[in-house]
Amino acid sequence: MKRTRIVWLVLALLMVGTLIWAGGGKEAASDDSGAVVLRYTSLRTEDQERENSKNAEFTKLFPNIKIQFEAIKDTEYDTVLKTSLETGVAADIVMLRSFDGGRQIYDGGYLVELNDIIPGMHDTFTANSIATWATEDGVMYGVPYFGSITGVWYNIDIFNKYGLKEPETWAEFIAICEKLKNAGETVFAHGTKDQWAITETLYCDLGPNFYGGEDSRQKLMAKEIKYTDPKFVKAYEKIGELVKYFPSGYQGIDYVTMQQMFLNEQAAMFIAGSWELGIIRDAEVNAGWFPPPVEKKGDPLHYAFYADLALGINKNTEHMEEAIEFLKWVASPDHAKLLANALPGMFPTLKIHYDIDDALALEIIESTQMSHVVPTGQLMWEKLSLEEPSGETLQNEAVQRFLNGTFTAKQAVEYVQKGLDTWYFK
Amino acid sequence: MIRTRKRRYYLLLYLAPAAILYAVFMLIPILQSLRYSLFTGRGLVPDEFVGFDNYVKLFTQFPFRDRFINVLKNNFYYFALVMVFQNAFGFVLAILITRKIKGSKQFKTLFFIPTALSAVIVGFIFKLVLNPVWGIFNIALKSLGLEVLIRSWLGDPTIALPVLAIVTAWHNIGIPVIFFTAGIDSISVDLVEASRIDGVSVWGEIRHIIIPILAPIIGIVTILTFVGNFSEFEIVYSMQSVYGNPEYSTDIFGALFYRTTFGSQVNSVNDVGLGATIASVMFIIIFLGVTLIQRFSKRRT
Repeated sequence: MKRTRIVWLVLALLMVGTLIWAGGGKEAASDDSGAVVLRYTSLRTEDQERENSKNAEFTKLFPNIKIQFEAIKDTEYDTVLKTSLETGVAADIVMLRSFDGGRQIYDGGYLVELNDIIPGMHDTFTANSIATWATEDGVMYGVPYFGSITGVWYNIDIFNKYGLKEPETWAEFIAICEKLKNAGETVFAHGTKDQWAITETLYCDLGPNFYGGEDSRQKLMAKEIKYTDPKFVKAYEKIGELVKYFPSGYQGIDYVTMQQMFLNEQAAMFIAGSWELGIIRDAEVNAGWFPPPVEKKGDPLHYAFYADLALGINKNTEHMEEAIEFLKWVASPDHAKLLANALPGMFPTLKIHYDIDDALALEIIESTQMSHVVPTGQLMWEKLSLEEPSGETLQNEAVQRFLNGTFTAKQAVEYVQKGLDTWYFK
Repeated sequence: MIRTRKRRYYLLLYLAPAAILYAVFMLIPILQSLRYSLFTGRGLVPDEFVGFDNYVKLFTQFPFRDRFINVLKNNFYYFALVMVFQNAFGFVLAILITRKIKGSKQFKTLFFIPTALSAVIVGFIFKLVLNPVWGIFNIALKSLGLEVLIRSWLGDPTIALPVLAIVTAWHNIGIPVIFFTAGIDSISVDLVEASRIDGVSVWGEIRHIIIPILAPIIGIVTILTFVGNFSEFEIVYSMQSVYGNPEYSTDIFGALFYRTTFGSQVNSVNDVGLGATIASVMFIIIFLGVTLIQRFSKRRT
């Protein structure tokens, strides 16, 4: 059975290969009108239409360049990107994950250095976001595309029905959960099946207020504290308090199901990132947003607002000039304004002011500018994930096992530390 | 003498196309991947020779060792489950089909239909069916008043792998059914009739006539299942992601190999050398397994 399948596969591959070899690949490079088609690959399948309408603005400025947006499912993106770069079939413009994810691609020698090509990035972008895609020596290989903010989405209609208002403290937050649960509502659109989701949008979303946010992240990177520090344990215990408000069968709920539950108004809250605003608008859900609740009133708010994705140029592109032109545009304040409005919830990491039309997007970005906010990023994305077992992989597993009840909080942190001990803390 | 030797040269010529194809697409890649298992380095072609370091890493170092032992255990468990759900059940179905019951022939076709689907499609369908929020399976249980049976089918580490084995069995059951019905149909009618005249029961007929005659076919089906299960990937990939969720309870060799070789998701690092090591271990396990099953089924016949 396997053998015949393999034979078919080989035949199919041969056919596809011949087609590409016979010139299919070349045709994609320019269309009937003679314009150059730049291929731009992304991990945001949700953004197909919004990206196309935004990039059409670029073609208005440069009629001889068209942008072909090619999105790959986020969980497969890294694999596809690495193999396509290696085999020489990658897109001209590639999306890069922050810190270690993008760094791996640069270290592989696949990216163009941007320092001289796109001057002036230091004047427009925040230092933080530039450092996310730069080496220690200051070599820049990515134009910061957007930053993400993680917090909690809620359904305003459901909240109004029970007279609830946005919580500030953890105690208020739990009280809301309790009230909704007693009323028979599904409190959270949340499950533990997709590991990345529960780490990025749970532990590193609500956790920083308990593990000490940016300060602890820096100390962990500097090896001044270990992951077994009581602060990290406390963060596990706190997010563990939410499990009883998860829907039944939550262990089998993956991220797509979580999104759909919230969009179909089947759940009151969805702990996730600002990047969801686009599909929330599409689904016309009456949604609101609040930042991660702090432990007690007056505490600093450790708020994850981090440079998330950047764009880089594939070194082997056949259209270097056009690709540079496109990235110059992406680095411009005009693009920032377009992006912020075409893809609401994705925030250009610019130093300078730009206007946002979407009221909720504005509310989210303004919430990060409150006086008691201390911005932070994803705990394991910088330095701690450059080798295997990567901090991210370990933490993903630990959070899943903890929320499923297989690990205690103490076991979870010890597991991660044991893995990091094999290379980072060596 | 000269003539026969000449003829032999001709034979070589006839064999050449197949031999070359086999060498290019099978033999060379296998040898190449055995070679890669001794190398390390970033990128798709590992270039730094490290001897048996990758094997040492895989067999002794945390967490690679834990992952390896886990997939070894899971893969054998998965194989055992598929043997029951797919092959033993397929055997029963084959016996029912070959009884002279009206319409039984049509069932043979019916059982084979899922086999024609792609594993990825089967995986996605069952992922939807078993979804804890809107999956039709739990809804059906509820409407039948069987709420107590409702589980998080793909989220509970103790049942996720058996569920996957059942899905695999549903997908591939046509194959053992076809094999076994062909075998049973080839049994001489005289033999069966003689035994019936002697008053042999149905159970006796199965035990003393069908099973001994079918032994080589059972051997082949077992080998196919073994090879299929130890190189399985699509079902796990499409239903439980390359991480063999939840908590690596459905992690099998194919998924571990893919994850290690190509890296996956956010911030993990790919290691083609270690991946080749896993592939080599898979190759050895499959080779030994097939040899053992073959020897066992030969002895039985």
